[in-house]
Amino acid sequence: MSPHPSPPTPPTTGSGPATHAASPPTRRHMLLGAGALALSASALGCAPGTASGTSDVRFWSLFQGGDGARLETMLDAVREQAPHMRVTPSTLAWGPPYYTKLAMASVGGRAPETAVMHMSRLPGYAPGGLLDPFDLDLLAEFGVTAEDFVPDLWERGIHDGATYAIPLDTHPVVLFYDTAMAERAGLLGTDGTLRPLDSPEDFLEASRAIAEVSGGSGITYGHVNDDSQGWRIFWKLYNQTGAELHLPQGGPAELDQDEALRVFSFLAELMDGQTSEANLTYQSALAGFSSGRAGMLICGEWELPYLLDSVENLGAAPFPTVFEHPGSYADSHAFVLPRQSDPDPERVRAAHEFVALMVRNSLTWGEAGHIPAYSPVTESADYQALTPQSDYASAGETPVLDPEVWFAGAGSQFHSDVSEALRTAVSGQGPEAAVEQLTRSLDSWAARTNPSEGDSR
Amino acid sequence: MTTPTETTGRVPAPDTVPVPKAAPSSRPRLWRRVTDAPLSFLMPFLLVYALFLIWPLLSGLWMSFTDVSLNGAGGAFVGAANYAEALGDPMVWRTLGNTFLFTVVTTVPLVAVALAMAVLVHTGMPGQWLWRLSFFMPFLLPVATVALVWNFLYIEDFGLFNQALRAFGMEGLGWLTDDDVALWSVALTTVWWTVGFNFLLYLAALQSIPDHLYEAAALDGAGAWARLRHITVPQLRNITVVVVLLQILASLKIFDQIYLMTGGGPGDSSRSLLLYIYDMGFTGYRFGYSAAVSYLFLAIVLLVAVVQLWLTTRRKA
Repeated sequence: MSPHPSPPTPPTTGSGPATHAASPPTRRHMLLGAGALALSASALGCAPGTASGTSDVRFWSLFQGGDGARLETMLDAVREQAPHMRVTPSTLAWGPPYYTKLAMASVGGRAPETAVMHMSRLPGYAPGGLLDPFDLDLLAEFGVTAEDFVPDLWERGIHDGATYAIPLDTHPVVLFYDTAMAERAGLLGTDGTLRPLDSPEDFLEASRAIAEVSGGSGITYGHVNDDSQGWRIFWKLYNQTGAELHLPQGGPAELDQDEALRVFSFLAELMDGQTSEANLTYQSALAGFSSGRAGMLICGEWELPYLLDSVENLGAAPFPTVFEHPGSYADSHAFVLPRQSDPDPERVRAAHEFVALMVRNSLTWGEAGHIPAYSPVTESADYQALTPQSDYASAGETPVLDPEVWFAGAGSQFHSDVSEALRTAVSGQGPEAAVEQLTRSLDSWAARTNPSEGDSR
Repeated sequence: MTTPTETTGRVPAPDTVPVPKAAPSSRPRLWRRVTDAPLSFLMPFLLVYALFLIWPLLSGLWMSFTDVSLNGAGGAFVGAANYAEALGDPMVWRTLGNTFLFTVVTTVPLVAVALAMAVLVHTGMPGQWLWRLSFFMPFLLPVATVALVWNFLYIEDFGLFNQALRAFGMEGLGWLTDDDVALWSVALTTVWWTVGFNFLLYLAALQSIPDHLYEAAALDGAGAWARLRHITVPQLRNITVVVVLLQILASLKIFDQIYLMTGGGPGDSSRSLLLYIYDMGFTGYRFGYSAAVSYLFLAIVLLVAVVQLWLTTRRKA
């Protein structure tokens, strides 16, 4: 697909508008047309040059569209800063196909030196021996240490005392709004940003108020025929109630039924088909907001580049604390070292350097909307100057990641199973039926045997 | 072949026939040419066939008796446990039901509509090439394109279909978001997309019906309807058998449109068995189980094909 731009640009640690913003609004979850690997054919055909001291780093990622363009910029910066490395990036289609291929490459022992993985998928990969741990001393040598990250996030990368994943970002679900409409609906604070909507009543009230202004919908959310959306919003709100979920091996799941019911009832009231439609797909919710038929959109910050292009008065805020505890559903793109049967120490070292450099260059990544995980970047003046990114940056401090079980995580079958409960809650059968359905799904997943267990080589 | 008439032209002696002498030496060479040449031409195909079809078929069968996982764990022999689990798995039955429903609601129109279109075009409508082209054109599109375009048509609040319905004062439909409608929407797309292929088969068959049958019938005073009923349809029986069988097999293995358009949703209302097999194996990592389900499905498909063949051959006899 997109061949790599060959002339290396100067290190893009400076701020400023994105140079690759002209990417079309294709989304990575739209698997349409992305069936095949999009191998960027840049460095194929180069002979390994050990004599000149160059080391190869093959790198797999799942970033397409705007994310993919930002990634290329970061890779250029890394190439500039570490000319002794030869980085060969491969972009694969997002979702289940990516994780299937990564697992198979690791099983075969011929995986790339490093790859991107959602932090939430780690419990399904690290225990099965599909990944190699990082050498923290080596990483520190290249200027990256545990202290540079939000502790909660960093700890998600640890399994059995070893660090298996270095986070690049958190990508939370946030609340986008049209500032002009919000102003007319009286929802802006004195500083011109969205005032806190910190109770269910307040949130619903805001939805009705902004629906009146937009003439269409209030706060919309697309979830039908989507693999994850139903789960994302439930899980976030459930965590906001302070309730816990335990999924002991063998089951049954321990879900706080009362709190789950409270969450589904709230969502049913929000998506009542009056002020907000109940059965929107991800695409139609996005299109509805970008064309002005809805005043607010609950969506991942990864839509920021597209929305910046299509919404004139775009504002963004962390997802409000609707219930008692703050929390934003988030996942985190992290770097991992897929298992190789015969690792070359030179390449392992280069992989560490590569990961450190990518993390340190993640300001570019912040321009795409993601919240960089490396705190020296988020604390920098350059990042603080990015709007509306800095308006929701605090969402990165209270990330609600998936439960730490082997079957959860981005692009998992678990996600699409449990996502269905939301549809039950908002269409016809109601919140009680949704809680029952969710409990059934959770029980059946907890009862399943981990396919990574047993004799893993 | 060397015939006497040919040789007489060149050889002056008419009585001494050289044929018997030449024949024994040339016949084996000829024989070898007949047998060996096709075989050597077929070898690449047979190799690929064995490598990519026979071998996976066998190793998949073995896999279905193990608990092998995508991430390399497991692999122990578990006997028929996977098959037993599959038979008791409600999702297998659910998705099998969806698959059969889809097969019925696509096969019937895909055969009937194709036949009707072919007959209409064949009866001498003006602008033949235009009809042929436009009926066949959709079939040339890649499935991803078809799914993308139709997904736009189906969008609930501003898609073309709902706009049209509303223009006539009707309620919009949740084409891909309503449990009762989604599978039918995918079927509709499939009919539009693939009907051209059957249409072409029928058109070719229509053109091979000899004209004199119609002329004779016309002389006997048969009207257009009688000619259609007593000549066209019976003459098309063989091709209909082929079309129906191909169509049933194609519809049973429905995967791509559903994967691209609804992902099996909403709920599981449009999930086909193949999609479930894919999910079990590649998203759920349970290769063994997913192989077992696919062998059950293979058995069902074979059964359908055999029954279908038996029914049609019996009718002929």
